[in-house]
Amino acid sequence: MLQTTMSRRTFVGGSVVLGALLTSVRFSKAFVAPSLSYKRKRIANIRDLKNHKPVMFNYPDKDSPAMLVKLGRPAIGGVGPGKDIVAFSALCTHQGCPLNYSKVRFVCKCHYSMFDPAKNGQTYQGHASEWLPQIRLSVDSRGNIYAEAVEGLVWGRVINILPK
Amino acid sequence: MALFARKDRLPIPPKNAEKKTTVCQYCNVGCGYDVYKWPVGKDGGKKPSQNALGIDFTKQRVALQGQAIVENMHTVITGKDGKQYNVLVIPSKNSPINRGNYSIRGGTNAQATYAPSKPTRNRLHYPLLRVGDQFQPVSWEEAIDIVARVVKGVKDNWGPDSIAMKVHDHGGSGSGFEDNWAVGKFFFIAVGTRMLSIHNRPAYNSEVWGQRERGTHELNYCYEDARLADTIVLWGANSFETASVFYTQHMLPNLQGATTEEKKKVYKRGEPVEAARMIVVDPRRTASVTVAEDVAPGRVLHLRPRLGTDYVLANAIARAIYEKGWHDKEFIEKRTDLKTFEDYKKKSLMLDVPYDRFMRDVEKLTGVSRKDIEKAAEWIAKPKKGGYRRRTLTIYEKGVIWGYKNYDTIAAISQIAALTGNYGKPGTGCGRQGGHQEGYVRPHSRSRAKLVGSIYAGGPPPNIDEYVKNDLKSKVYFVSGTDPYLSTPNAQAYKKRVHERTLALTEFLSEYAAAAGEPAGSEERARRIIEGLGKTQGLFLVVINMYQNETARDAHLILPAAGWGETPTTYINCNSRLLRIADKFADPPGDAKPDWWIWGRIATRMKELYEAEGNHEEAKYCSGMDWKSAAEVFADGASEFPNNKLSKADEAKLPAECYKGVTHDLLRKLGQKGIQTPVRIDPKTGKLVGTKRRYTYKFGTSDGKFKWYGTDPWSPDLNEFYPPQITKYFKNGNDRKFPFWFTNGRTQIFWQTGYHDRYLPEKVYTIPMPYIEMNTKDAKRLGIKSGDIVEVYNMEGNCVAVVYVNDSPPPGTVYGLMYRFHESLNHLTTDYTDPKTTIPWYKASRVGIRKLSGSLEHVRKFTSFLPINDFS
Ligand code: SF4
Ligand code: FES
Repeated sequence: MLQTTMSRRTFVGGSVVLGALLTSVRFSKAFVAPSLSYKRKRIANIRDLKNHKPVMFNYPDKDSPAMLVKLGRPAIGGVGPGKDIVAFSALCTHQGCPLNYSKVRFVCKCHYSMFDPAKNGQTYQGHASEWLPQIRLSVDSRGNIYAEAVEGLVWGRVINILPK
Repeated sequence: MALFARKDRLPIPPKNAEKKTTVCQYCNVGCGYDVYKWPVGKDGGKKPSQNALGIDFTKQRVALQGQAIVENMHTVITGKDGKQYNVLVIPSKNSPINRGNYSIRGGTNAQATYAPSKPTRNRLHYPLLRVGDQFQPVSWEEAIDIVARVVKGVKDNWGPDSIAMKVHDHGGSGSGFEDNWAVGKFFFIAVGTRMLSIHNRPAYNSEVWGQRERGTHELNYCYEDARLADTIVLWGANSFETASVFYTQHMLPNLQGATTEEKKKVYKRGEPVEAARMIVVDPRRTASVTVAEDVAPGRVLHLRPRLGTDYVLANAIARAIYEKGWHDKEFIEKRTDLKTFEDYKKKSLMLDVPYDRFMRDVEKLTGVSRKDIEKAAEWIAKPKKGGYRRRTLTIYEKGVIWGYKNYDTIAAISQIAALTGNYGKPGTGCGRQGGHQEGYVRPHSRSRAKLVGSIYAGGPPPNIDEYVKNDLKSKVYFVSGTDPYLSTPNAQAYKKRVHERTLALTEFLSEYAAAAGEPAGSEERARRIIEGLGKTQGLFLVVINMYQNETARDAHLILPAAGWGETPTTYINCNSRLLRIADKFADPPGDAKPDWWIWGRIATRMKELYEAEGNHEEAKYCSGMDWKSAAEVFADGASEFPNNKLSKADEAKLPAECYKGVTHDLLRKLGQKGIQTPVRIDPKTGKLVGTKRRYTYKFGTSDGKFKWYGTDPWSPDLNEFYPPQITKYFKNGNDRKFPFWFTNGRTQIFWQTGYHDRYLPEKVYTIPMPYIEMNTKDAKRLGIKSGDIVEVYNMEGNCVAVVYVNDSPPPGTVYGLMYRFHESLNHLTTDYTDPKTTIPWYKASRVGIRKLSGSLEHVRKFTSFLPINDFS
């Protein structure tokens, strides 16, 4: 299997591209994510993960529940040897209800939006006009998985990092 | 990495941000939205006292209760003053309709606004004139002069019927009462042609004459009825996807039992109060079925009739009700016409045929079991404990409207409601769900051409698709606010012909120019066009739209129209007839103009031309359209409505949209509260009052009684039941070539052809191409998997589609998305129209399916193929 652990270098590389975009006035005004300084946070170790057994955590702060899940098949933005570990905000982007994970997707029982975690949190059915914000992950050499940033606006905020 | 740029913060509107009332530009539900606009760089603060919303943005908001503000609700636009403004379009918590809820379509309203830095820069900016194989920008003066001269010249030479049109008649999508009034005045009075057709379809007709001619307008219920009903029937309506917020905000709570307190307030004393049941009639296991099952297991009944057999099924349910004695005898006697009731009993209920035999034939034809039919009868009509009548709300839509025998089907469904007393009371009603919102006002009383109704009311109306395809008397064709190259039935045959005819004129003009040079000015150009129309099989095509759509590719002149939020407009929603203003907050791109202005200018120019030649009679017909503002057009339209100083009981006499007495200014004051049409002037107080629910006292007939109708006889033998457009597929080996039934519909994800949505990355990834849904069993047999690419074809045309394998369509039937940005599965629909109404039958044909080799890797990689009807 391909070794695809995301290194610090490729991660920074990604940011350089974004940084270039951010220098244009139009894009800096558009607040392209990640436009804030997110703290890195350890979520779990690859060893502890089982397919379809989600790990709940909070990110970027305690009021923002999130879910990490190993899908058992490659996913967009997936990390780990199988490129199948992804994490998302666990608040439905429609009106903020908590999401359930089952049958390889997220379901919201408030108005029945469904999001595909293998496809960048795509709303493939339901009311939510925004895809689920994906949480950018990295993995270190010991298999620790870290949350690095949130790509998309967490429901219920106009800024992902709330003032202290 | 996100597949496209996402945001992680949004600017906050300052306290002094400009605030406007608007209504979603998309579906029938008519969710209310609030618009905030403020200069870029002048943001408000996070504390409640520092921003226009009074929200504490330092804290996480609470789910459901908190205001939804998501990424797509914000955009930056450029004003006519050259400055940049932030615009926030958020679902209104003050709207009684959506109460802060919104859908995947409406959530992106802000993105549909024109911005030079966004893909909406694709909007049309200037009038475009075809010269040979290219379009060249011209001034409005030139463009208007050409159209006016051509219309006048063609009319003078060949009569008013040589001018044909296919034009929107709806509310929302950037138009409403104002534009519809202008269109009507132009074609009914200034031109006086009979050759009219309405947006997607081949003729100028109501889709529901079968109900209207019974004395009930199709919009008779209100959203509260969905909260108060004992039983909700969705017939050919996938409301979760096509009336999204109506379904989740009002039907679901009732299914969940969350509206019992509301019920107790209006039900009779002692009347049992329960959570609702739902009956869905749809060949597919749609999301509307499966969401309801998830919420209320055991209280959902799903009937899956064979395509086109709905009127027989409706009559069978009515017969079962009648057999059990569950019909509302008192209502029938007092509120309905007993003379026509005899006809209904004989022809629709077929009381002469013994019940068992009748049911056996129904089962054979419809494929629905007698047990389920009787269960539906029970859920609709069996009185509750204590003898109280069940309150049943029936909502139907395109599955039957665009079904076989449009007139009889709609009549049959609306008659179940009359049989069971389900009109005019809380929790009852029977009407269409609606696709778009409504804003119909046209000068019928002053039309120069005779407009007809169904076959029972002077009709049916002429089929204009056939007219422009086959009859060279048609010379000028206006297409506005619609894209028939995608949306007209049997679209492939249609566009082939329109292309041939428009090309004939183009070639004539090119040859003329090659010999004599390009014309010097609009007068000469118009003269050559008229000459060409006489000498060739040519057709002069004018397209008026926001975008250069598919049909525009063959246009001779394209006129750029303003869109939603770019001119004040007004319309009503479908579930409550709630009239509000969708106010202006942005400027149209370039020199684009509101539709009412365009029609007004063409008419006014025609008036000048007639006056110049001393034809004052014709000039008079073209006058009164030189409007200066949308408010003026709205007021002009009100003149068509009858005297509305009437008692509450007489509301039944008023047209559903009657807004006489209402002004733009009043609507601005009323905001999201709006006013429900028909609006009356109370004879006692002299005040304007709305109508919450219709037909509580009388129906809209001369004697106030519901008129019954006996539907056509039918045979349980499919070869005799279906029209030749279908039975040709049963013969000569065609049954093996085209082994699948084909039906079509919409997706929740985007609106109509996706004329705005095609510029949003979410939509492009999620619906990358036309798709079909295929049952797991069929897919297995054919070796087809989700994500495979297939060609769907029949004797009408073909389309390439990606496949979703799921259990939504029954085995043997495939379902396709009706059309997408540039492609259309409408190529496969037949040219059948109901001989009583000229309404097409979009919903059924027969097809063959061929798997294409290879696949589109991009589609496989980025599109989700998870089943859209499994929520468990
Ligand atoms: S449900 Fe309809 S009206 Fe409401 S937001 Fe969605 S598209 Fe707009
Ligand atoms: S809150 Fe999740 S679908 Fe509405």
